[in-house]
Amino acid sequence: MSAAGRLRYLFGVHIAGRAALRFERLRSEHKMRSRESWRHRHLERPLDVSPRLKELISRHYLTGRYANGARKVAWVTSGAPIEVLTALNIFPIYPENHGAVCGIRRTAEEYCKHAEAAGYSRDLCSYARTDIGSILSGKTPVGRLPRPDVLICCTNICQTVLYWYQVLAHHFGVPLVIIDTPFLYREAPSHAVAFVKNQIEDSIPVLERIAGRSLSHGRLRDVTRMSRDACELWLRIVESGRMKPSPITAFDQFIHLAPIVEMRGHRYTVDYYASMLRELNTRVGRGMGALKDERKRLLWDNLPIWFRVRWLGDLLAERGVSLVASTYTNAWAELADMIDPERPLDSCASVYLHPILNRGTGHKLETMKRMIDYYEVDGVLLHSDRSCKPYSIGQLPQRESLSSEAGVPALLIEADHNDPRSFSEEQVRNRLDAFLEVLGV
Amino acid sequence: MIAAALPILYPRELLRSFGVLPVELWGPPGTKTAIADRWLQAYTCSIIRGGLAFLAGGGQDHADIILVPHGCDSLQGLGSVLLDFPVLSKPALSFYHPRTRSRASVDYLEAEIESLAEELQKITGREATDALEATIREEEADSVLAKLLAGRLQVALSCRDYYRLVRCREYLPAEQFTALARPWLSSESGPSSAMPVLLSGVVPEPSGLLDALNEAGAVVVADDTIACGRRLTPEGRDQSAYRRMAERMASAPPCPTRGASVEERSRHLLDLAKRSGAKAVVFAVVKFCEPELFQLPLLKTALERAGLRTTILEVDVTEPLPQQLKTRMEALLETMS
Ligand code: SF4
Ligand code: SF4
Repeated sequence: MSAAGRLRYLFGVHIAGRAALRFERLRSEHKMRSRESWRHRHLERPLDVSPRLKELISRHYLTGRYANGARKVAWVTSGAPIEVLTALNIFPIYPENHGAVCGIRRTAEEYCKHAEAAGYSRDLCSYARTDIGSILSGKTPVGRLPRPDVLICCTNICQTVLYWYQVLAHHFGVPLVIIDTPFLYREAPSHAVAFVKNQIEDSIPVLERIAGRSLSHGRLRDVTRMSRDACELWLRIVESGRMKPSPITAFDQFIHLAPIVEMRGHRYTVDYYASMLRELNTRVGRGMGALKDERKRLLWDNLPIWFRVRWLGDLLAERGVSLVASTYTNAWAELADMIDPERPLDSCASVYLHPILNRGTGHKLETMKRMIDYYEVDGVLLHSDRSCKPYSIGQLPQRESLSSEAGVPALLIEADHNDPRSFSEEQVRNRLDAFLEVLGV
Repeated sequence: MIAAALPILYPRELLRSFGVLPVELWGPPGTKTAIADRWLQAYTCSIIRGGLAFLAGGGQDHADIILVPHGCDSLQGLGSVLLDFPVLSKPALSFYHPRTRSRASVDYLEAEIESLAEELQKITGREATDALEATIREEEADSVLAKLLAGRLQVALSCRDYYRLVRCREYLPAEQFTALARPWLSSESGPSSAMPVLLSGVVPEPSGLLDALNEAGAVVVADDTIACGRRLTPEGRDQSAYRRMAERMASAPPCPTRGASVEERSRHLLDLAKRSGAKAVVFAVVKFCEPELFQLPLLKTALERAGLRTTILEVDVTEPLPQQLKTRMEALLETMS
């Protein structure tokens, strides 16, 4: 790490960058406060913490922009065990989250086309295509992504990430650490837990070498505690969707999810979610919902359709339909009680084996049924995501069971999380209209 | 008992030691897949859709067990659906192959084989017998298969008939396969070709692909398909049967479905091409197959840099070879002649 790099980092991130972002946040907060009235016909005004979210995310990418030369950087999958990295002060970049940002900012399609021109099939995951296309074209809406010093790929969300990270390893010529988490068709067998723990332990010396420092077990414990605290708060945030009216929609959760994915293990993330929860509780106390008139409640399954989040949110809000919960955002909440700071590596092995995407289709059905009861929803929207097979395969028999066993109607929406070319607005609108008519709204 | 075994790798010898004969399903060709629409989205590959459609359409009547090893996200989904929903009437089993190669992976594989043995015991109601002998029989069959694949030009058969012989390994008991295939190893006058081709991809299907190659004067001289060449598991050394099975599986040739990198695969392909004299590589890739599709751009570049010609044919194994793909292959062969 060079002295000049560190100086640039210090100035760009900690001095000028922070001040600019803070100023920007204060301006937004002031604007929100001074706005006479929120004019949306169907939605209540956004949460007051929103400018802080923007500040956190911007700071994350700003840190990334200046990281090379000052800090070691790891590109990691969304389900990777991040605690060891954080304890070693390695800065994480999440290509999936970057993919989502590109989806929201509507640049993903252009990057996907770049990847396709280089030979990557359109049938591949659109996050992967977005990321590969962004690297090949050198374009990103976040300014600049730092080069990785190491790649960490955990297969607990899909096998796709393994092939994707192999492409990245080839491109950047850096080490790829694979944490292979055997898929759990049933309960986790002890040999699977042992296998994962072994791999996490084996990754530590590799990461220590890259970080140029030894892992402090005290620091790992503290980071793990922060992770657990953040996940617990996130759990209470998503559970606030149980209230009637719900103070938060799944669309809000999709956006406020970023810190729990990218910044677990930090005090500022815990503080942020604590403030968010306080605000939600205040809204609940006042009987204030995310929608001005909540008439029906739905559950969402699968990734968001990032390039149509606002469109879909408005379409549902117009009809008084609140999307009060989602299996996707629940995934970062439901494992909170498995995280044990006193046994960081053992609990890490268990936690990272158990995400919903690493468990069977029957488990997901049971999760949905529990959520249907808990959140008292009237129906389920299943996003059949063309380029995310692990999340989508199983939705057809799940839909049948939701109607026959859980007694709620479920609609399958054909789309894609990041590729607008696999989305037909007319078709989705027509199907939703028919579905909402069945619900009586 | 019969196990209908979906792709890709599983311990055949373990099944045999429980008196179960695995019969593999790679498609099968010609299956009408519409029946699978009830459970699987259209964007799953034709191997998965064909396999399920075949079983649900009556194929399961010939099987006692359905085995779905975990080779990719789609096989994972299919296995999980069969385990969790009443789609078929026969019991389903799964098997996870690790994606890393280390001592810990072999330990994991051994424990996974033991778990599968427990499941087989429950279903068959019997103990495993002569597991080590069963392993050695499979090793012999694999060794004959390896020689058959390495000595293609000594086998006087068209590519279609040659693969018919090779792929008997997918359903015959190991000892019968060995007896059937061994005589072909000593035949000396096979086809000669000015256009030797290495076949990679998923499976040598549709068979029209092989006919088209022969008609154009080309011969497949080496194989790197997931179904054939990438499952040539070598002999193990350990005298404990389960450990030996694990060792064998962990040493199979590089395949992305077991975590192999692009570099490992291109090294392997270049070596195969060098040994067989192949001048071109035809990738018969099943549409929607992520493990294959991801590596193709980099593989293609590496092979072409080494002077090999390549073409990618995206196929549906349940459908005949489209004319457009035939034309593409002919175009490749023309550049070689
Ligand atoms: S295939 Fe699905 S789970 Fe895997 S990276 Fe893509 S979107 Fe995520
Ligand atoms: S063809 Fe590819 S996607 Fe289909 S089962 Fe085989 S490995 Fe999986």
